[in-house]
Amino acid sequence: MKRLLAAGLIAGVLGITALAAPVSAEESSGNGWEDAWDDDWADEPDRPVWSGFVELAGGTQVVAGETPRDATLGELRGQAETEWLGEGYTLSFKGEVLHDEVLNDTDLEVRELALQVPVGTALDLKAGRQVLTWGTGDLLFLNDLFPKDFESFFAGRDDEYLKAPSNAIRISAYHDWLNAEVVWTPEFEPDRYLDGERFSLFDPAAGAIGVVDPPLDAATPDGLSSGELALRLFKRVRATEYALYAYRGYFKQPSAVNRQGRPTFAPMTAFGMSVRAPLGSGLVNGEFAWYESRDDGNGDDPRVPNSQARWLIGYERELITNLTGAVQYYGERIADYDALRSSAPNRETLPDKWRSLLTARLSYRAMRDTLTLGLFAFVSPSDEDYHLRPTVSYRVSDTWRLSAGANLFGGRKSHTFFGQLEDNSNVYVRLRRYY
Amino acid sequence: MTQVHALFGGCAALFAAVWTGAVAAADPAPTLTDADEIVDRANLAAYYAGGDGRSEARMLITDSQGRRQLRQFTVLRRDEADGGDQEFLVVFSRPADVRGTVYLVEKHTDRDDDRWLYLPGLDLVKRISAGDKRTSFVGSHYFYEDVSGRLPDADHHQLVETTDEHYVLRHEPHDPDTVEFAEYTTWIDRENFLPMRIDYTNAAGTIYRRVEAQSVDTFQGHPTVTRTLVSDLLSGGTTEMRFRNIAYDIGLPESVFTERSLRAPPRQWLEPNG
Repeated sequence: MKRLLAAGLIAGVLGITALAAPVSAEESSGNGWEDAWDDDWADEPDRPVWSGFVELAGGTQVVAGETPRDATLGELRGQAETEWLGEGYTLSFKGEVLHDEVLNDTDLEVRELALQVPVGTALDLKAGRQVLTWGTGDLLFLNDLFPKDFESFFAGRDDEYLKAPSNAIRISAYHDWLNAEVVWTPEFEPDRYLDGERFSLFDPAAGAIGVVDPPLDAATPDGLSSGELALRLFKRVRATEYALYAYRGYFKQPSAVNRQGRPTFAPMTAFGMSVRAPLGSGLVNGEFAWYESRDDGNGDDPRVPNSQARWLIGYERELITNLTGAVQYYGERIADYDALRSSAPNRETLPDKWRSLLTARLSYRAMRDTLTLGLFAFVSPSDEDYHLRPTVSYRVSDTWRLSAGANLFGGRKSHTFFGQLEDNSNVYVRLRRYY
Repeated sequence: MTQVHALFGGCAALFAAVWTGAVAAADPAPTLTDADEIVDRANLAAYYAGGDGRSEARMLITDSQGRRQLRQFTVLRRDEADGGDQEFLVVFSRPADVRGTVYLVEKHTDRDDDRWLYLPGLDLVKRISAGDKRTSFVGSHYFYEDVSGRLPDADHHQLVETTDEHYVLRHEPHDPDTVEFAEYTTWIDRENFLPMRIDYTNAAGTIYRRVEAQSVDTFQGHPTVTRTLVSDLLSGGTTEMRFRNIAYDIGLPESVFTERSLRAPPRQWLEPNG
């Protein structure tokens, strides 16, 4: 049934796309911008300008396997955003209505509702709901401990949805010799982790991949005592960007188990640094982070993740005109591994002491950038698993965009990060109408 | 979001806020005969008016099948030195999928430009690697080089004709492998040194691309191109660009051209009469 639904949605999206081109041709002789152009620049109105899009998306699994649902994506989404510009402040809003047919759910989400105020000449304050990002990795995050949404990422939603919003206060201070940013998130905001509702996962209890039912429901620290504090000091010297990071909060994934046996988030403190600079005709970036697991100082508690070091080095450059290539090497090392190993209930599914991951990105633009072909690959030599993300995106006009792609997973073992998702490999298509 | 990357990805940076002219001479200028001197004067006239500048810009992109797209943005420019390094901040307001996107460029004459792109949906400050400067600027028929300026040293210049109105020059690239043209011809206004027309010729000897200044107005003593058209003569596509609310020497501080302005665009400087 759900597979039929996904197939129907994909057919529907393609059908509408066939109409889109004539529609856009009509538009070009119709109202709106064209008139404004001919009128020679109608001024921006004083009232707030609303913009946004409506998007129809469908996706389905491509391999036979045990999954909660055949459809991996099936939704209608509407987004609206605006800004109110006041004397000395900006109030910004971005909200969405999402009907998700896969999970049979209709939801409102505010992605941004924030007040931005410059304080004096050297401070900016942004308070409210907002998406936050820093660090140098490409789809890899070391010192960026703001919430991610991996379910959206693996289901084929726009890259924008990999970042989930936080309720936070961000203070940025700028000075000639150093810039600093502090982000206070008063109540812990975890990643939107894979809970088994949409995708099948490795089930440690069963020791195999399966449908997790009921879905994973982690105990999440809440209240003001669960707040997170993140700090970044940064500076650019000529073309080289340097940054230092610190964080106090929790592991963002529910990798711990509480006394009741429920998954939960272990307290964590992190320190790190990053560098980014031109090298040859490309860009090189390096980043390091140390995650200190505060409740597992000796690493011998199997219910709490051990401390960890993470590092990354990457290089990006244009290979030929309109074709850009990028590679990254990423490593993780678990501290006190022997203690972890001796206390582990099941050594078979214990993560390796060292985890390595290679990524490659190819991006090609054609037809004056209206057509974009992309491939992003994650391959882990240590876990022997992979995740491939081919994408194609066509900007039909200023108002219509058609995107399609696949999320392919595989691996030799059932308990590794990408390997466990093997049965969830999927293809998707999305059609978006901007207004 | 991928598409936004695409819009900015390879094309490089930015806009020399506008094509601008040197201060209009009161007396008829003496006739110049040195091609290099004419090119240097034209470079200053077109890309370095005043110490800084602000302009709003709009592009109407028409493809070979008559389909149209629009781009609207505000450009801030600051010169480190005449004919030298420059900084640009470009804030996009339309269409909806690029609204809030901000582009920061430091143009260097002795090394690759430094470029950053801010993608508001991800709150991501993306640094962009150096790339071919003769690729589409935000999906238009303009190239990065058309708007930020091609370095005068990149070509060999030859004065082929001096008419009543124009110096006509032919330019051949020192490194033909890095460009798509075999040569190009410019018509430079003898009064204000603005390039009024540029024809690009390919290896087969066909003129395949033309850039024309269609309208020139003077602001604060600087003759400035306010309307320009680029035509792809083989496919038939065109992009028309218009500028308005042009101001020079508004006192832009260097601090405007930093990461801060990517996340919090400097309204004080972006709004006309700010």
